[in-house]
This record gives sequence, C-alpha cells and structure tokens, in this order.
Amino acid sequence: MDNNFAGDSNPRPKWRKVAYGGMQIGYDDNYTDESFLEEMVMNANVVRRDLLKVMKDSVSISQYLCIVALVVLVWVHTLESSLDENSLLLLDLSLLASGFLILLLTEEKMLSLSLLLRYLLNISFFTTGLYILAPIYQTLTRSISSDSIWAVTVSLLLLHLFLHDYSGSTIKAPGALKHPNLTSCISLNASVVASVFVASRLPSRLHVFAVMLFSLQVFLFAPLVTYCIKKFSFGLHLLFSFALMGLTLYSVYALHKLFFLVFLFLVLLVNVVCPYWLIKMQEYKFEINGPWDEAKLCFDITD
Amino acid sequence: MAEPPKLRVLMVSDFFFPNFGGVENHIYYLSQCLLKLGHKVVVMTHAYGNRSGVRYMTGGLKVYYVPWRPFVMQTTFPTVYGTLPIVRTILRREKITVVHGHQAFSTLCHEALMHARTMGYKVVFTDHSLYGFADVGSIHMNKVLQFSLADIDQAICVSHTSKENTVLRSGLSPAKVFMIPNAVDTAMFKPASVRPSTDVITIVVISRLVYRKGADLLVEVIPKVCRLYPNVRFVVGGDGPKHVRLEEMREKHSLQDRVEMLGAVPHSRVRSVLITGHVFLNSSLTEAFCIAILEAASCGLLTVSTRVGGVPEVLPDDMVVLAEPDPDDMVRAIEKAISILPSINPEEMHNRMKKLYSWQDVAKRTEIVYDRALKCSNRNLLERLSRYLSCGAWAGKLFCMVMIVDYLLWRLLQLLQPDEDIEEAPDIFLHHHGEKIN
Repeated sequence: MDNNFAGDSNPRPKWRKVAYGGMQIGYDDNYTDESFLEEMVMNANVVRRDLLKVMKDSVSISQYLCIVALVVLVWVHTLESSLDENSLLLLDLSLLASGFLILLLTEEKMLSLSLLLRYLLNISFFTTGLYILAPIYQTLTRSISSDSIWAVTVSLLLLHLFLHDYSGSTIKAPGALKHPNLTSCISLNASVVASVFVASRLPSRLHVFAVMLFSLQVFLFAPLVTYCIKKFSFGLHLLFSFALMGLTLYSVYALHKLFFLVFLFLVLLVNVVCPYWLIKMQEYKFEINGPWDEAKLCFDITD
Repeated sequence: MAEPPKLRVLMVSDFFFPNFGGVENHIYYLSQCLLKLGHKVVVMTHAYGNRSGVRYMTGGLKVYYVPWRPFVMQTTFPTVYGTLPIVRTILRREKITVVHGHQAFSTLCHEALMHARTMGYKVVFTDHSLYGFADVGSIHMNKVLQFSLADIDQAICVSHTSKENTVLRSGLSPAKVFMIPNAVDTAMFKPASVRPSTDVITIVVISRLVYRKGADLLVEVIPKVCRLYPNVRFVVGGDGPKHVRLEEMREKHSLQDRVEMLGAVPHSRVRSVLITGHVFLNSSLTEAFCIAILEAASCGLLTVSTRVGGVPEVLPDDMVVLAEPDPDDMVRAIEKAISILPSINPEEMHNRMKKLYSWQDVAKRTEIVYDRALKCSNRNLLERLSRYLSCGAWAGKLFCMVMIVDYLLWRLLQLLQPDEDIEEAPDIFLHHHGEKIN
C-alpha cells in the first residue's frame, strides 16, 4: 500500500524507523519497509543432535528402568515366598558392600578413613532405625485390601519413573553441583512410599525389614552409584547397563513370557524409537529472537 | 445545531480509570481527542470495587463499568460467552459502528471483539505490549491473540518493534497493522519555571519496582554512580517487590542521604517529582513504548534508558542516551548524560516535544484507521470461518466451533429480545462539540 511517486517533482524523504514527529510524509501508517523483521534471528540457540549420541544417552534411562524392574521382581518373589528372608538379607549385605566398593573405586579424591567411618556409622543408624520400626510397617496396611495396595503401588512407581531425574542423583554425590529439584524429590518420596506399601504385605518382621532395607538401598543409592560409574568411565557405564539389561530380561523371562515381551518392547522404545523420533521432530523447531525480547541480566541476583 | 457524530466508537479494555497506567491513559486521552473531533466515544470496562454502572467523564465520555469482577491482575474472568448479552446491549444502545479493543492481556477486550465480529461490527485492536514466544504463558497468549486477530479489520501497534512482534505472534499481514505511537499531555508536563541548580545533579527514577522494570539493574548501577560522582543524588519513586533490595543497597553502601526513596507516587504528583531532577533514568528490561520517557522529556529532563524493545524509536538521539541493559554500560551512559547536561535547555526540549508528540495527531491518525476499517467488506459467517481454520490443525477447528456457538447464541438472543426492543440512548452533546476548530 505504498504510493510510488516515481517521477514526482519532490521525492518523498527516506522512511525512518522512528515513532516521533507524527505521520511520516509520503508514507501511510501501515507502510512496511524492506527492513521489516530485519533483526529477527531464527533458531539461534538450537543444538543439532546426533542420533548415536542420543541413543547412548538414552541408555541411562533404560538402565534405570531395568533397576526398577529388578526391584519389582524381588518384591514379587518375596510376596510369592520363593525368596526367603535370609537370602534377602544376604542380598542386602552384598548390595551394600558392592555399592561401597564401587564408590571407593570410582571416587577421584581419596576418601579418608574418618569419612568412611562416618558413612558406616550413618548406615548402621539407618539400619537399626529401620529394624526398630519394622513392626509398624508390618501392620500399617492391614485394614486395606490388597487390590488397593497393588493399584497404589503401581501408580506410585509410575509417578516415580515419570518424575525421576535421569541425568543426576537426588542424593547429592560428593562434588556434584546441581541441587535436587522439586520433581526429583517427589519421585524419590513416591518410590519410598511404594516400598513401604509392598513391605506391609509381608508375613514376618524380618521379611519386612529385609525388603524395606533392600528397596531403600536401591532407590536411595542406585542413582548415586550409577552416576559415579558414568562419571568414572562411559565404557564401563555402557557395559554395566547392558549387563543389567541382560540380567533383567532373563529374570523377567523366567517369571512370565508376556511381561518379558512388554519389557523388551519398552527397552527398544526407549533406546531406539524415541531417539529417532526426537531427531525427526527437531526439524520443526522454530525459535524466534529479536529486539522485542526481554533483556537477560548478565549478573546473578544474590538476595 | 450539532451535527450527528461521524464515527461512533466503543473502546473496550479491562484497564481503565480508576486504575492508572499506560493503557488507561492512552484510552482516556485518545477518547477525549476523538470527542473533540466530533465523534462519539463510549468506553466499556469492568467494575472497579463499588464503581459499577454508567459514569460520565470529562467531555461527555460515557463509561460503562460492566458488573464483572476482576479475577487476576485486573482482568475479568474469561467466560467466553458470558459477556455476549451486555456487549450486544451496549452496541445497540449506543448505535456503535466501530469497536476498538485495547491490550492483548485483557480478556474483556478479546471477548468483546469476538462478539462484535459475530454481530457484524467493524473491529480494530491496539496492542500495547511486547510478548515473548518461548514460555508457556506467552504461547497461550499468542494463540488467543491469533484467534482474536484472525478476523480483525485493522490493528494498531504503538511502535515499529511492537508491529514486528505483533505480526510474528498473530500471523497478521503487515499491511493491516498501523503504527500509531502513544503521546504525552505536554500541557500537564511542563518544565520547572526555575531550573534546579546543577551543583547537585539529581537523577530521577519513577517506575514500579519489579523485575521487568529493571529494579535489579538499579541496585547495581546506583552505588557505582554514587562512588564515581560525589555530587549526584538519586530520587526513586514507585513501589513494588524489589523495594526491599533497594533499601538493602542503601544500607549496605550508606547512601541514605544520597538516595531518596519516595514510595508510590500518584500520577498527579509525578510532574512535581520530575521537575526536581536533571536526568531521568529508565532501566526496564522490556518496553513496547515507554511513556515515562516522554513525560520526562516534556518536563525538560535528559533521559538515560536501556536499549530494549521500542525505546530507541521514541525520542530523537539528542534527547536520550541509550545503553545496553548491563550495569557498566549504564554507568557509562550516565557519565555521558552528565557531561552533556550543560547544553540541555528544558524549555527548548519541552517546545520540541510539543511538536513531536500530541494526542490530537494520534486521534487524527486513528480516525484514518477507523475509516479504513469501515471500508472493509462485510463478510458472512462462512467466509469468516475459513479465516479461523487457518489458525492451526486443531486450534482452527476449535475456534470455528467457538464462533459457530457464538453465532447461534446471538441468534437466540435476537429471538428472546429483538433488536428493536433495545432502547437507543440519546446522544448527549456538550456545547463545544458543534463548534468548528480552526
């Protein structure tokens, strides 16, 4: 809608991108100059992703899925009484010992003896407390029907998986910079409550103590251990994950064929389909930046 | 005696007096100037506390305070179809020809525009703010805007940057968007009759103390400037959540005698605060158009501002010193401002501002937009629905459904209360309307 005064005696002055001075002579208010949207920048901060890297990163997710699946397997076997309390206690102790070993081996700075003793003291307090409180857990859900318990447990575990922080660890590793955020705390609590509900269905006090110790050990410390392994060596992390996947698949196969198929499908989905899908969707990314953006402060606001 | 008004405009927004702000000011002054040009203007807004019903303001400006309570941040609760009866009644009663909505954040505005389109009136929309694209709130707001502007006749933006932003957010064609800036009441903002002495340079800041207005930048800049220039003092007017941080800064650097905190300054006292100063500091992080800068320039103050949004377009280069939103750059800009301060003549600046900005000019340019809107062709429902379908794969169909239901509700209302039964309000002319202004 710009009037072209070609060949006119007084050519109109050049259009300026200013708001003052009233209507610019020779130009309507809706005149759109060639410099319109000149300063717009598209997709300035978009990271181009590589399929192989995304697949390697998704191994952390499937590794954690396997860990949770193994915990659920142990629960199922305990509830079916195919795993008795003594072997469970043995499992707990071996997990604790191996976890400590891995932490010791993968820590870059030397863990002093006093620190180690302090950790051992904390663990013993924790275990004693759990043993003393075991009778409470045993009778906690006696008046609630089993169906409600299974439904709540499954939904809590799903919530836990959904909100879990797969990139780090909620329990702060020594030297980690990231503080745990709200969703990772919620997921941790959901898993703890789920394990309490499952433990309350067991016959004897020792059963309850063993299962609680096992579940809490895994949910609280498995992310920390896997984070330390990943930090130490990526190859070791991949090896560990594949070993876990193999173990889980074998155990689920031994339990039930249908669950095995579902779990295999899930692992393939997470490791192969989702990375490919993510990369496909990146071409729709359209990020717009320009002079209209709110300015970012270059300093931190310290209150 | 008095000729019938040429245009009959309904201004709709959630933001109007007794609330104070840029949008409210804009609607009021624009309406007053349009009234003086001989048009009829009616304003529709929501009830403010006990202020509900019809009120008349200066010049015969009729304001409908519709009895809907504000729900969050002075906007009405969005009920989509709830406002249809009242909007229809007002439009019929006042024999409105153009509906002019203000501010994308106002739900009343969007609803009124939607109903006005359904009933076949011409609509114009003015956007007063800049929005981003990336966060959840902005994405939803932009979708709502896309819906509102899918079928609009003309749109107005207050700066060129704002025009680019609106075109990107709503997908409107740029030829439909007019750039008409805000203006300032230069009669009210006059410089001091005696300029304050430049022995002590006073830097005035008047803004809401919130993150968006750069209160954190102030916290960094003020101690630095006070250290470099012992003869500079600050006057900070306005209140908000960041008030505490400024007080802490004062305590930490012992600047109680050099930084004066005035608290909230009512609009009527803004001029008296401005004329005590030499330099006006604006540190906002985003501005579509900064009216505060105009008020300061009209009072003869040199402005130092952050280069964000539409601010570079507002004042000529010799009246403003721009800086990046970075404390060191702002200190440098303040230094430059202090050095060019002796060459500034407040009276001359005020006279220049009178020529650069005036509400009468804004009203005349808005009149052109209204005329253009009235010339747009009438479309029937089916043609309009095709415009909504282009808004998106799912959104387009949803918007079409919304408009179809709106149309059906309108027809139902026409059945229950025919158009002829709505009593038309007589036009009240104050004596100066009929006079020609030479």
